Amino acid sequence: MLTKESRTYKLAKAALLAVLLAVTPVTGILKAQTRPLPGAQKQEEDPLSVLYKAAEKSLEEKKYKEALAQFEELDAKAVDVEPKLKAVVTFRKAVCHFFIKDWPRAQTELTAFLDKFPKGTEDFFDGDNRRGTAELLLIEAFSKQGKWELALARLEKIRTNTLARPEERVNAFTLSAQIIVDRVKSSPDEAKRAAYAQAISLLKQATADGIATPERREAAYKLVEMYTKLGLTKEATQLKNEIDAKSNGSPVEIVRSNFQRLEIGDARFAAAESAADENFRADFYRQALTNYQGTLRRANLTSSFGRAIEAKNAEVETLTKNFPKPNPEQAANIEKAKQEVAQFKKIQDEFNANKDYDAFISYRIGLCLLELKRPWEAHVAFLDIFENSPGFSRISGAYYYHILALRRIGRNNEAQAKCKEFISKFPKDDQVSAIALILGDISQEREEFPEAIGHYKWVLANVKNLTPEVQEEIDFRIAACLFSQVDWAPAQKAFEEFLKKHERSPVRQQVLYMNALCSFFQGKYKETKVDFDKYEQEYPKGQFIPDVRYRQAIVKFGVNPPDIAGTIKLCEDWLKDFGKTNTDDVIAQTPEVYTLIGDANIRLADELDKKVKAADLELRANAKSADKAKYVEALAKVQKEKEAVTNKAIDAYEAAAKSARTNPQALEFVLGELRKLLPGRGEHKRMRDLFKEIFDWNHNDPKAMTYLYEVIRSTERMGDMPEFAAESEKIRKKFSAQLADARKKVDETERRDKVTKEEVDAAKAAVKKLSAELEAELAKVEARRQTSIADQKKRALKILSDAVSESINDRTQEGTEKLIVFLAEKLARKIKRVKPGVKPEPGAYTSADAEKELVKLLRLDEHRDSLVAQARGFFALGQLAVFTREPEKTAANFAKIAANYKAEELNPTILAMVGDSLLAKGDHKKAADYFGYILEHARSSEYADYGFAGLAEIAFAQKKYAEALSLCNEAIDNNILMAKELDLRFTRARALAEMAKYAEAKKEFEEIAKTKEWRGEKTAASLYWLGLMAERQATDEKGYAEAIAYYRRCFMTWKKYEVWAARSYFASAKLFATKLNQKDAAKQLLKEMLEKDRIKDTREAEEAKAYLLGL
Amino acid sequence: MRLSLLLPALALLTAASSPAQTFVFKGERWEINDPFKMDNSIPPKPVVDPKKGTINVIKGTIDRTSNQGGIEVTLTRKLSEVTEVVWPIPSRLKEAQANVSRGEPAKALDNVEAVLKFFEPIKNVPGSWWVKAAIVKIDALDRLENDAATAAFLDTLDKEEAAKLPEVATQIQLARLMQRARKGDHDAVVKEATDLLTKADSAELQARLHIVKANSLLASKKYEAAMTTYLRVPVFFGSETEFIPKALLGAARSFRGMDSPALREQKLEAISNRYLYDIIVSYPVSKEAEEAKKMLPKEERAKAEADQKKIAAGGPLPEGVIMAKPKLADEEKVEANK
Repeated sequence: MLTKESRTYKLAKAALLAVLLAVTPVTGILKAQTRPLPGAQKQEEDPLSVLYKAAEKSLEEKKYKEALAQFEELDAKAVDVEPKLKAVVTFRKAVCHFFIKDWPRAQTELTAFLDKFPKGTEDFFDGDNRRGTAELLLIEAFSKQGKWELALARLEKIRTNTLARPEERVNAFTLSAQIIVDRVKSSPDEAKRAAYAQAISLLKQATADGIATPERREAAYKLVEMYTKLGLTKEATQLKNEIDAKSNGSPVEIVRSNFQRLEIGDARFAAAESAADENFRADFYRQALTNYQGTLRRANLTSSFGRAIEAKNAEVETLTKNFPKPNPEQAANIEKAKQEVAQFKKIQDEFNANKDYDAFISYRIGLCLLELKRPWEAHVAFLDIFENSPGFSRISGAYYYHILALRRIGRNNEAQAKCKEFISKFPKDDQVSAIALILGDISQEREEFPEAIGHYKWVLANVKNLTPEVQEEIDFRIAACLFSQVDWAPAQKAFEEFLKKHERSPVRQQVLYMNALCSFFQGKYKETKVDFDKYEQEYPKGQFIPDVRYRQAIVKFGVNPPDIAGTIKLCEDWLKDFGKTNTDDVIAQTPEVYTLIGDANIRLADELDKKVKAADLELRANAKSADKAKYVEALAKVQKEKEAVTNKAIDAYEAAAKSARTNPQALEFVLGELRKLLPGRGEHKRMRDLFKEIFDWNHNDPKAMTYLYEVIRSTERMGDMPEFAAESEKIRKKFSAQLADARKKVDETERRDKVTKEEVDAAKAAVKKLSAELEAELAKVEARRQTSIADQKKRALKILSDAVSESINDRTQEGTEKLIVFLAEKLARKIKRVKPGVKPEPGAYTSADAEKELVKLLRLDEHRDSLVAQARGFFALGQLAVFTREPEKTAANFAKIAANYKAEELNPTILAMVGDSLLAKGDHKKAADYFGYILEHARSSEYADYGFAGLAEIAFAQKKYAEALSLCNEAIDNNILMAKELDLRFTRARALAEMAKYAEAKKEFEEIAKTKEWRGEKTAASLYWLGLMAERQATDEKGYAEAIAYYRRCFMTWKKYEVWAARSYFASAKLFATKLNQKDAAKQLLKEMLEKDRIKDTREAEEAKAYLLGL
Repeated sequence: MRLSLLLPALALLTAASSPAQTFVFKGERWEINDPFKMDNSIPPKPVVDPKKGTINVIKGTIDRTSNQGGIEVTLTRKLSEVTEVVWPIPSRLKEAQANVSRGEPAKALDNVEAVLKFFEPIKNVPGSWWVKAAIVKIDALDRLENDAATAAFLDTLDKEEAAKLPEVATQIQLARLMQRARKGDHDAVVKEATDLLTKADSAELQARLHIVKANSLLASKKYEAAMTTYLRVPVFFGSETEFIPKALLGAARSFRGMDSPALREQKLEAISNRYLYDIIVSYPVSKEAEEAKKMLPKEERAKAEADQKKIAAGGPLPEGVIMAKPKLADEEKVEANK
């Protein structure tokens, strides 16, 4: 149910059908009769004959009243004539009455004709005695007077008369069906449905022998209509196709068939709108769409009309040419053909006048597609209206639905532009307020609040016919925008005004609540309490009660001095009352309540901390007094109290974190607090367990890696247990007294008179022994500590391994590669680095061990059948080698991926990394496969730029400069620039240079050269290229000097990039020698170049040596 | 009460024609043996009904045996005397069309040549399938990408009477346009196709032109414009089933081209994949379905293939698939040729 106004399309349709009705010729009986009446003279025409001709002429000219008078005069005068002539006059009078719509007299005259003249007009009109026509006209006259039963009775007679002409019987069936339907026009739906069913039964009999004649096709058309009305679309469509197949191609049939298709579509659309079942609804929309799509467009119809008119004109021309003096039959044929030309032209004109035809079809198609959840197609359908029928009468509807389609495909900017376009084009349209609301709504949704307020205010100021409901909604939205942009005072003012203006608003509860929040966020706690109390009073069971009660607790905490106990009490009551409530709001608020309890306890702890400090000072001051024990006790007491409240705070924060799955802000806050509290207290296990629980909520969460990192770190820290420190301390204490005694003894021995060297040595040996014992004891503890740390590190790796293993088989999980890199980095850190060429210590953890462990941790054996897992294994080893600085190993592992895997078996990360490696090795074909796959399938991934940069580099290397440029432009223009921005810009610059677009290239190279963040090899390369371009463009010494200046900057500043420095040196030397006639300078420069350690082994150096010899 | 609609409308309508293979001469109708209908013999021979006329291509005549008063008389009329042809679509022409959409242009050429040859003597007679066959041949040549052969055939066709028919003239223009597109003259192709679209008066031509235009837009990397142009085909010409898979494939490619990290939220790759899925499910034997399978990530490809099998076995249409259209009735096609 997208639209109500869609039904108005029926008006347009009815207009066209009315054309059909009006322009089709009446009957075939209008031909003039030239047979002389009895008694007529040969020379002078009989006056009766003249009168008859005049009457016929009047009839032909549709002057029915005049014709009737003439036929009546003729009837009165022609007394003594053959019965058939009398019959002709009676029939004509009846026809005149019929067209004058004088139904009673038409009925009388037709009844008289049928009763008095059993042979009808006999052979007067080309073999048809007109009784059949008279019957039909009489039936219509009955119908017009509502005499349904009489009409049906006459029709039944025809239907059951086996002697009647078959086509007359067919017409009788059709008319009966029509009358049955017409007579229930104002009846209830049930009666209508029964009538349709009855009509179907009759029409089926009419079409039982096929639809080869016009009469039967007419019956078939009616049958389609009935099927459609009863919702039997399948039958309707099937029969309609059959009728279309038999079509003679006349414009009348084309138009009729076309509109019938539209009717079927409309019926399906209406059925869809009222369908309760979602599945049926989609089916109905689909059927409606099929019919709308099958409808001919203006161009097709116009062309059919043109062809039909052309053919008819040709027919008229041929007939006129062949029969210059036509007999009556030929004249009638010519006349008939002319009438058809006129009729076709009229249909064409009427059709052309309906400018909205195509647009209406597009509109309907768009609506169906929107309902069928195909917004992109709907977008295209509505776009067609704007492009081809901007004057469409329902353009406002088209705008509205196009805007909906744009929003559904996520194109809010375009949707807003469309809203603005509409508002500026149709400021007085009925849809303006709705569209302006959408415009504001989009801004509001995108959190562009000032803009949204602007739009809403514009609506209030400019739209005059706003309903009170819309006005109220806008007032609320403005206040809500002010609220959302944290303009508390203006927001509060707006809410207060709203409450005054819309006392009984359905959003009053929300406004009261938001108004109180404005006070709350301004720190006006007194006012907040009043406002919240008011809310609680008005809505004791209101939807915001949980939040209100939570905020009341915050108010208690916020006043000075804070009411900590009151705060905690309110929070605990809150948990008691709402702890089991499962609404989303309450679930999201629970961590905030716990956090408040935590904060309150921390505040208590802070207060106690002051007391602890004071007690400590007291103790220190009275350390030597007799009351020392009392002070010690006092200090211990406050310390214990502080510890207790801190523990409560930690418990509360932990509960907050565990319940904050749907409240990321609260989660981040409490995790921050816990990160400060737990590690300092050595509670690594608690920390690990908490973060593990949070990590396990969703491994694909953007923050999952951070949580995992905490898990790993805490696990590792768990190894370094406080017990070890305590034990070491204990040992130290134990030995320190003994050592002190032993040292004292050494001192005393040395001071003693007549002490022997042996005695002193013995005392010293005792100290030494004690020291050694201490060291041995501490070493034992340290060894246990290290074992414990190693164990925990192992556990940490196991956790990481579990995380990787979980998704290693799923190619689409891009986060897996990040975990792999993390794991590789962890293992790389375990390796003890040695200088190149030096053998590692025996038993040391080497890169080979790390590789083995990595393979084990990735559980590659368990995933032997998974292609992607194996590929990830090679990737992991390659990454490990990156960390251990073994580029050959990286290349070798990546090469294994390249050799064994198709692009579609890998994900963008691996494709990008391996592609880059292949490119560096010069395997352009395979690299192009990988990069191409990224462009084809992963343009929105973080590695899309690798695809563009890689393919551009390959194209450049193959001298396909235009292609390289196009790829770079595409990436840069669409801002697909992450890690590869510099590469893309550099390749673009080079491609421009190679295409001799020097000015643009220069701009690009200069940009690269001057960007600090990009300082490095590309800076050197850019300077070289700037020199090269200057050289290529140079025509005189000045030009060459400019080139040399760039080369010089390169080799002077960027020696460490030997390739570019070497090229610059060599290029400068060549210019000196060949263009500036300075061979000595060239020689000197080359010598300088060849002395450089970094340069002398380059390819350029080899060339330079040879060149130098030739100078 | 709309009875008055019935009476005048009745007066307008004329008798419909029969769909059997018939040649109409002045004042006479002869049923003709269908040369494309073969018996089961090896090698198969055309089924000949002696009561029906048989065409003698060499003599340019039609011969028919008639029994008049117990005596068999052979009646002969010249092919040049035929004033109208009433002929359902020849099976080989139908096959040729299917070959084209399945990406078998060589087979299509083989089939279509037989039809062209048969209708050659009566190519300009109303109801002849020669023109349609010529258009299918253009299609087949286009699929072969044999520009020389295409150009030669178009030159020949240009000289024919049929070339004056607006739809044929436009088809020739269209074929030349496609040749230019292959040469990379995309800007001109887009411009010309846009002009031609205002003149084309059949749904088929409109659909073709949209695809040619969209192909050039895609090649020029104007992805958004290409997407909206491709999508016009399923949106407005949904009953032109032959072109839907091409359009859907093009739209899928355009969506991929439009994709970028900045538009990640629009999930354009998923939308593209959805079109590829639609092609595989709704048009499984088309050339485009093969292409779609290559483009679709393997997990989704497996799902699409499985769903297609379920649908082929009578399973329900998956939600959102709207492009699978019922074929037009055969009778409709017969009439459409007139």
